[in-house]
Amino acid sequence: MTDQSPILYEIIRSRLMAITEEMRIALQSVSGSPTVTDASDFFTGLFRPNGDFATMGFQVTYQAPVVGHLIRHINAAPDKYRPGPGDMFLGNDPYVGALHQNDVQMCGPIYAGDRIIAWAGVEAHETDVGGMDFASWSPKARDVRQEGFRVPCMKLIDAGVLREDVLDTILTASRLPDQLGLDIRAFIATINVAQNRIDQLVARYGAEVITGVMERMIDGSEARVRARLADLPDGTFRATDFLEHDGHDNRLYRISVAMTKTGDRLTFDFSGSSPQAPGFVNCTRSGLEGGVAGAMLAMLAYDVPWNEGVLRTAAIEARDGLICTAQFPAPVGAATVEAIWVVSNVAVAAINKLLACSAGHAHRAQAVSSGTMATFNLGGVNQYGEPFGLHLMDPLAGGSGAFADKDGICAGGPINAPMPSIADVERNELVAPLFYLYRRMGHDTGGAGAMRGGRGVEIGLTLGGISEAEALIMTHGAEVPNTAGGFGSWPGATVTQAMVWGGVEAGARATGETESFGPKPGLMRMTDRDLFCVTWQGGGGWGDPLDREPEAVRADIASGAVSPEATLTLFGVGENEDAATTARRRSDMRAARIGRAPSSAEVSGRTRMSIGPNLRVVELDGAYHVVSAAGARLSTDHTRWREGAITVDLTGETGAQRIALHEDLRMTGYYCPLSGQCLAIDVHERDGLPADDIDLALP
Amino acid sequence: MLSRNGASGHPGYYERSRGSVGIDSQNRVFHVGTDVGGTFTDLWVSDGAGPARVFKTPTTPDVMTGVMDAVALAAGTLGLSIGDFCVRIRRFGHGTTVGLNALLTGTSARTGVIATEGFGDTLEIGRIRRQTSGLSEYEVTDFHLHNRYPPIVPRHLVREVRERVDATGRVLIPLDEAQAGAALEELAEAGVEALAICTLWAQANPVHEARLKDMAREVLPDAFLCVSHKIAPVVGEYGRMATTAANAALGPVAGRYLSRLEQSLRDHGMTVPLLVMTNAGGVLPTSALNDRPAFTLFSGPAAGVIGSRVMADRLGRDNILTTDIGGTSFDVGVIAEGRPLASTEFSVAGADLRLPSIDIASIGTGGGSIASVEFGDLTVGPRSAGSTPGPVCYGRGGQEPTATDADLVLGILDPDNFLGGRMRLDTEAAREAIETRIARPLGLDTIRAAWGIREILDNNMADLLRRVTIERGHDPLTFTLLANGGAGPSHAWSIARELGLGGFVVPAAATAHSAFGCGTGDLGISESTAVYVRVRHGERPSDAVLGAARDALERIERVVTYHLAAAGAEGDVTLERFAAVRFRGQTNALDVPFGGAGFDATIYDTVIDGFEAAYERLFGRGAGYRQAGFEIVELRVSGTAALAAATATGHGDTPRAHGSRPVVFDDPDAPVDTTIYHVDYPAPDSEVHGPAIIEFPGQSVVVPPGAIARADAYGNLHVTLEARP
Repeated sequence: MTDQSPILYEIIRSRLMAITEEMRIALQSVSGSPTVTDASDFFTGLFRPNGDFATMGFQVTYQAPVVGHLIRHINAAPDKYRPGPGDMFLGNDPYVGALHQNDVQMCGPIYAGDRIIAWAGVEAHETDVGGMDFASWSPKARDVRQEGFRVPCMKLIDAGVLREDVLDTILTASRLPDQLGLDIRAFIATINVAQNRIDQLVARYGAEVITGVMERMIDGSEARVRARLADLPDGTFRATDFLEHDGHDNRLYRISVAMTKTGDRLTFDFSGSSPQAPGFVNCTRSGLEGGVAGAMLAMLAYDVPWNEGVLRTAAIEARDGLICTAQFPAPVGAATVEAIWVVSNVAVAAINKLLACSAGHAHRAQAVSSGTMATFNLGGVNQYGEPFGLHLMDPLAGGSGAFADKDGICAGGPINAPMPSIADVERNELVAPLFYLYRRMGHDTGGAGAMRGGRGVEIGLTLGGISEAEALIMTHGAEVPNTAGGFGSWPGATVTQAMVWGGVEAGARATGETESFGPKPGLMRMTDRDLFCVTWQGGGGWGDPLDREPEAVRADIASGAVSPEATLTLFGVGENEDAATTARRRSDMRAARIGRAPSSAEVSGRTRMSIGPNLRVVELDGAYHVVSAAGARLSTDHTRWREGAITVDLTGETGAQRIALHEDLRMTGYYCPLSGQCLAIDVHERDGLPADDIDLALP
Repeated sequence: MLSRNGASGHPGYYERSRGSVGIDSQNRVFHVGTDVGGTFTDLWVSDGAGPARVFKTPTTPDVMTGVMDAVALAAGTLGLSIGDFCVRIRRFGHGTTVGLNALLTGTSARTGVIATEGFGDTLEIGRIRRQTSGLSEYEVTDFHLHNRYPPIVPRHLVREVRERVDATGRVLIPLDEAQAGAALEELAEAGVEALAICTLWAQANPVHEARLKDMAREVLPDAFLCVSHKIAPVVGEYGRMATTAANAALGPVAGRYLSRLEQSLRDHGMTVPLLVMTNAGGVLPTSALNDRPAFTLFSGPAAGVIGSRVMADRLGRDNILTTDIGGTSFDVGVIAEGRPLASTEFSVAGADLRLPSIDIASIGTGGGSIASVEFGDLTVGPRSAGSTPGPVCYGRGGQEPTATDADLVLGILDPDNFLGGRMRLDTEAAREAIETRIARPLGLDTIRAAWGIREILDNNMADLLRRVTIERGHDPLTFTLLANGGAGPSHAWSIARELGLGGFVVPAAATAHSAFGCGTGDLGISESTAVYVRVRHGERPSDAVLGAARDALERIERVVTYHLAAAGAEGDVTLERFAAVRFRGQTNALDVPFGGAGFDATIYDTVIDGFEAAYERLFGRGAGYRQAGFEIVELRVSGTAALAAATATGHGDTPRAHGSRPVVFDDPDAPVDTTIYHVDYPAPDSEVHGPAIIEFPGQSVVVPPGAIARADAYGNLHVTLEARP
């Protein structure tokens, strides 16, 4: 950008942000999809001609890079797509750039004279885009061609004229053509708004100025994130998470990242992840990029304008054919709530391990939030006699991860949308054939730590106004605690889901017969006598639960966040007891962890940095040591401190935290050999301990 | 021009608005409007014959003292005893933020909540959006800042009762009275002073809420009781419960305050009822508001818009953008085709309140907005220096330059005549701060940097004005810009020009516009009812559905008419009807006005036609999709009745030139020598040619080169900009 006055830059930057907000309002006001209006699973933004996004709204962050892929796809084949003024293109192919087929995107070029100076892009999750099962999520699919329709790219508006025949072709494939039709019109309105406003800006300031500002916005965000990275310590940070059940078999899949931070750049290496699955839990490379983008925007760019510049600071490495880089024709229908969600979990965990090692950022380091989005879809004929399809958004209401300096938010939801929302129970009961028996916080769901993870919500519902319907029930995280805790804390509870057959009578609870489900029971008939009960994951906690203030634990009992049994088992605090009794019990519990009375040692030397709340890197006699709060020297010349800790298998101890573990998983706690303070809890495969997660570059 | 009332012992002062001194006679009567702001309590008074005056006293912690101080100041200045003044009051309108402050500071009453079994966590879950409530667009992306406000009632004061009504209003589980009684006893034990009763689907069938209220009256005889189906009869339990809880929490505080104020005025001889401005923009007597204090939460801002509408009526204008630049925010009210833009939901202290209200658009941009340079980029706001430490030029320790500092350096503000000379400004410190923190890092000279701050600020404000007009399908060029507040009239010229408007108007009561609105607005009340009309493409609603809607509509019309009559409506009552309509499956509805009586198939068609037209205007041609079918989810009736209003006729003075100073307009390299005028109230048709700055008590009107300012018969100043080639 040449010689731009900072004043003109700021004026136009603000205008472009205002236009983006206007696009968001247009789309969200018009859309008929609860995924858009409530869950904000959509995208609006302005792009440079090359497909880099310069602005985006406060929406599901996984979608940040998606429309850019469609623009690049058009740019790569100009003779095929022949973009011209007044054109708009539609696409939804995960092998081009969508996260999964439900993500229908549109983009339109913005011209100044005969030159494209920008693109306007929109995207929204559409509830049904065809395929073998309702909502286009098919647990039995083995091939992407069995799932929703795929449009790599097609011109829907040709020089300002809507191609009705093409639109009909699209709508015909959906089980919810009205909803899709309304949304596609919303897309058109939204792109029109952007084109119109940019035209006015160009008329006033000239095209060069506008393109220059967009370029500088991206460069500015990149510079800000690079400056932040440069301020953080170098090293490699690892995180591993799992998803279970691929739709066919309850197999365990691993998504693993080694994030290396060097100077002002990051590399995310996903090579350690499992090969692609035969079922719909995979994601394509664009999904992998989306998951990483979601983590970076929330965790590193929380005060930086969101655009392509943020993502330029990182490289992603992963070979083809992994569960997060699935190759055609692998099915990917549930990618957003399966592989992408777990990619985001590990990227969030790795970034926060990095933040926890920085004096300036450690206070805001956060455990993993809401590690899954369980699915409850319902289809049939509703109480108004119309065919209906429902994709319940309530499962967003998991718990947030705890921060280093405060508890996680109960019902805080995931970090992939800054302004999430779920509908009122009454609205759901009015427009859909649902009847709730409860929607409340789930006790003991937040990860136990010095700072407690936020609680997840639980609901119990049956049908209302109809006698039967077909339900699709699936999740991951029923046997994997996905919300990893930080530095000695427990992860949040796993998802529990069950059907109580005959559990409702005239709106009231009846005994019935309870069938507990695994992760993916799939499609089933349910009636207005059956009660579906589900509890979503709580957030991970932060720090050893025995370090939680006893007063805070008692407040947890009073609010119902933690049951009296769990406070004893996990926190070592009784409901009505004096401080001395609590201290004694906690000391006994620490002793039990390490098999001897807790003690401490004096450590001299200079503290060079901290690793989370309880570990320090100390320089002594020309060497660097990782030292615990109690003074135990855990490692020397490197920060792989687990070698000096006492390990205990916690696999059998997960009940109080409401965690169920997949048969291939184990949990291990690591304790300070002197004090018995819990320093880490790892969830890992049964055949061995995982690699150390924090490997700082020492001077 | 500034008169301190030393005799009465409180440091108030008054600004005579434009108008002549009235004729003192035995028949003299007064119309009074008061508005309690954060810093000042404003009182506007007109004697119906001519003089309109504005008095300001410091707002006091108990609020009431400040109001009574203003009354005493007005009486004293008018040469009357308080008693003689009060007995002559024909109308006393009032706006207050007492309730708002109580909610924001958590000083409202200890409140309990009764909820349906299984739904006691509704306030805390808060549709998971409670966590972002109250955060600016710069804050929502930072998860560490989420959850700023706790639930409006803590969980330990919530009790669940066994009962259940379904969406159709059918009782599925009868109220378990024994268990409910025990729950109420527990809350009594916990010492609640107020109780909000909110059960699922009470708006569809209030039988359980009504019974619970009867029971609560026994167990909690002194508590302030609210039932959700009365306070916010909407579909959506979170908003309904939050609104009911907020209302309950305010009851003991706001209700007590209003009755004490009314009593105090009566003790001084006032014979008319105290009228209070509501969020929806109508005034009502306190007797109609005692059980719903939440309806007055935003009375101040609503009154400002109503004052603008009164002004617009007098000027014969239909479309108004009424703006107010304060220290920390820029607020805009929109009046389109004579109707203030309304909303049915707002958020306070983290709670979604579902109440009809006048919509005020706002951005965190004002005189205190901090300018800073990071990574070579100049930004103005969103951080604000507020009033403490305030701008650098206040000399209270502020180090970072603000928009006010830029205005001072540019010559727009007079360092010796700020706020009527009550504060002396340090120009050198402002210049120094802009020089070191803005100009040098950007490689600009100081004046250019100051001008840049101003341009960015004005453009941000113009962006908001575009948002509230263009985005809502209106052409800004058809609007008249009203500039209120202290800083509004000094920025209006550049905002008007940025939008392509030909000029702007500074109302006579620009520094006390809310008080003016309280003193002149109509009686008004709004009632809504949830309905559910769901129609597939090509079909019409059944007679039964239409009948139910008609019954609901007639019921709320009766409520509105009743309240207006009880409030002493004189003359004709105007009822406006609105239907909230959406395409089937949408979440958001549009408010569509409709005429006629009752609700039948013909009216349904009119409503749908109106919806489709409004939809196309908002979202563009072809955005509508009637194949989706339609839903009508709410009906609302808004009733107004005119009150006898004071009319002011202006006499006044000719603005007097008080020297000149260089002021930057457009070209930072060539400040223009600008004549400074002083005037209390300009005489009708008096004219000032730009470049000029007309300094009134409390505000400066900037008239750029080529522009002409001319006063009208009401004392409003119309500034016409030079037509640009």
